[in-house]
Amino acid sequence: MTTLMITPFAPSRDGIANYAVQEVASLRRSGVDVEVLSPLPSAAHHHLVVGSATGMTRLLRRASRYERIIVQAYPELLFGACRHRIERLLVWRLWQQVAARTEVEFRIHEIDYATITADPLTQRVATAALASFDRRTVHTQPERTALLDAAPDIGTVDIVDHGAAFIPRTTLDRTQARATLGLDPDAYIFLSIGFVQRHKGFDRAVRAFARVQPHAPVDTQLHIVGDIRVDHPDLAAYRDELDRMVASTAGCSRRTGYVGDSEFDRWIVAADCLVLPYRSIWSSGVVERAALFDRPVIVTDVGGLADQARANTTVVADDHELIEAMARSVGVDGQVGTDDLPPDRRAIESVVKRHAGTVRADGVTRPSDHLRHVPAAILGQPVSERRGVPQVKRMIFRLTSWMTQPLADTVNDLRDATNSAIDDLEERNR
Amino acid sequence: MTDLDRTGTIAFVPPRYGPGVVGGAEVVFSEFAHGLADLGWDVEVLTTCARDHFTWANEFPPGTSTDGKITIRRFPTVLDTPGKDRDRLGNRMLAGERLTLDEQQRWANDSLRVPDLWFHVLDHGDDYRAMFFGPYMFWTSLAVGQVHPDRSILIPCLHREPAAYLDIYKPLVEGSVGVVFLSDPERDLAADLFRLPGNHEVLGSGIALPEHYDVDGFRAAHGIDGRFVYYAGRREWAKGWLDLVEAFRIVRARGSSLQLVTSGAGDPTLGAPELGDALIDIGFVDDATRDAAMAAADCYVQPSALESFSRTILEAWGAGTPVIANAASDVVSWHVERSGAGVLYRGGAELVEALTLLDENPAAFAELASGGRDYVREHYEPSSIVGRLDDAIRRWTQ
Repeated sequence: MTTLMITPFAPSRDGIANYAVQEVASLRRSGVDVEVLSPLPSAAHHHLVVGSATGMTRLLRRASRYERIIVQAYPELLFGACRHRIERLLVWRLWQQVAARTEVEFRIHEIDYATITADPLTQRVATAALASFDRRTVHTQPERTALLDAAPDIGTVDIVDHGAAFIPRTTLDRTQARATLGLDPDAYIFLSIGFVQRHKGFDRAVRAFARVQPHAPVDTQLHIVGDIRVDHPDLAAYRDELDRMVASTAGCSRRTGYVGDSEFDRWIVAADCLVLPYRSIWSSGVVERAALFDRPVIVTDVGGLADQARANTTVVADDHELIEAMARSVGVDGQVGTDDLPPDRRAIESVVKRHAGTVRADGVTRPSDHLRHVPAAILGQPVSERRGVPQVKRMIFRLTSWMTQPLADTVNDLRDATNSAIDDLEERNR
Repeated sequence: MTDLDRTGTIAFVPPRYGPGVVGGAEVVFSEFAHGLADLGWDVEVLTTCARDHFTWANEFPPGTSTDGKITIRRFPTVLDTPGKDRDRLGNRMLAGERLTLDEQQRWANDSLRVPDLWFHVLDHGDDYRAMFFGPYMFWTSLAVGQVHPDRSILIPCLHREPAAYLDIYKPLVEGSVGVVFLSDPERDLAADLFRLPGNHEVLGSGIALPEHYDVDGFRAAHGIDGRFVYYAGRREWAKGWLDLVEAFRIVRARGSSLQLVTSGAGDPTLGAPELGDALIDIGFVDDATRDAAMAAADCYVQPSALESFSRTILEAWGAGTPVIANAASDVVSWHVERSGAGVLYRGGAELVEALTLLDENPAAFAELASGGRDYVREHYEPSSIVGRLDDAIRRWTQ
């Protein structure tokens, strides 16, 4: 008999797909016959959008062919195609019926607790479904606690090691990895790596680094490695904000674009310390990958991160502790004060401008700097919380985007070309 | 030679392989695979059951077979998506629009996929010392090439086309253990688009020159008495075939008696202007017939702008025949400028004039070809190129 894993899958690139690939490889190595079902076409054997009543009905029809089903659960997979509350309830019921036909392990990566606790009926139906599974698993104790708080009567919730199936994607040592990435072999390197999203808090790392770097006894750098996952105005605005901060912070840079698995691991190997000041998270695959290479990590105390901590992990409560942890990591002798601002208006304004990214790392303001604050032109997404409006917006979007998207692309190209031309001119005049 | 480390199995992973498969990249993979096997490497080809790159129909049986010293493992293609995303997003890409990452993924996964090949590499990737993937654009490279990046070597066969600019290919190129290029322009383009790994090398592809070209036999077999220009390869829009036929129609209308002889895959009359007797299709031919046709022709025409190596123009030079070639291809221009053995054109009007000049001045064109054979011998001697590949594998996979 065969095990079916339901999950996003390669070659799509996201944390859960990457996690699933490694677990599938591990199961198959141990002799388990595993097939994969992904919501979108991929390298999986099957594809089916299970996040709707129709999708779940189709899954139900084939469920008894499998000895076991492992679900890599997150909100989009579970309910992404549901149109309303009743359909979400139906999906929970159908999961219960799937569990009646075969063994189900429900591995929760992320969950929207409103889909469990929205109202008494939802709570009853969701609890019954969760209780019907043979195994419910999460990665950390805080996640288990939160799940049991939301649904106390579902039975036991097991914790499985997030990195149990992880394998290294590079065999290089620190020196070799730095050479391949063009990094200074002698510098002390902080690394924040992953998709650029506000909840990952890479801006906090930049701010803390700006406080630590002037006191560091050796050449110290912070590398942000990652980019936004989808073109969404909020994400693009955050990326631009982060880039302004990076540009105004000496020793700081961002590696833009899409990073492959082996390069991802080479960055970790090359780093002296990872800085992951997440604002929110369930559990972190990056923490597990850092553990694979025994790299020190500084994490904030959110989600299950403290639970994932190893001996060389520093868990910090706030930005002040983050600064202190980074300072200790690079060997700063003594405290890095948080109140070392001189009582001088211009000096304070200059710090304000630097933090806001309105001056460069050299402290000089240039007339062209306002160009860097022109946000990227991104078409608004056809979404709304008002009933029926998203459908209308989507239709308008489809009818007009063939005209508006090229305009937006051209505006962005002009913006980038102008910035890059000014950079070139300034470089030549230097 | 015997104490060189050639332990471990080398896999080549082209999307198609075998008899009846037409394409320059497929020839390169076959040449490298056989060349390494002859040097003593254990070589496998992991590929699909498809012969046709339009239908991707499973024509070869799945499973294991052999081709000389090489083991071939074939896996069935899966085409179970409607292909609407592929068409719609592909058209937007061709129109110069930038696709989001999500759209790029949907475009890439809405065509052939080969899950059994992907899982074979997942399960057995550690059994291979190195796996060569290419061309870059196919799912077999994009998806399968990233399963074991620490063992993946890419032969991208890259040229300027909209897909080359997609973000989804960056991890494939940048994460591979090494990249093998076929020409300097290909390497330069890749360096513009990607952060190349430290291990990369321009190797080219070997061109084996026959001892004898049976021109008389070729003419007799196909009933061709007069002067002609020749094109060998895929007769399809993307390769500039329709431009060539249209130019040839105009040249004929000017009173030329030149004929256009062609061989290869695809229907040469599909979508093309009516040429009547002026077009002679000799179909899919063996290497000896192709070489004889090259030698018998007044000129070989390369109308494609999408070339990553263009081995046919090198085969033409090997046969002592000049070339008229599309300057829109960086690598073709590079070959012609280095060898001096051909004429470059830009656009359909220049192609018409080049063909007309050939018709009127065959001696001048024939003289151009004199440096071509030496160029091929100097740069593309097969054993030298396979030797450099052999060396690269040992250096990159220690």
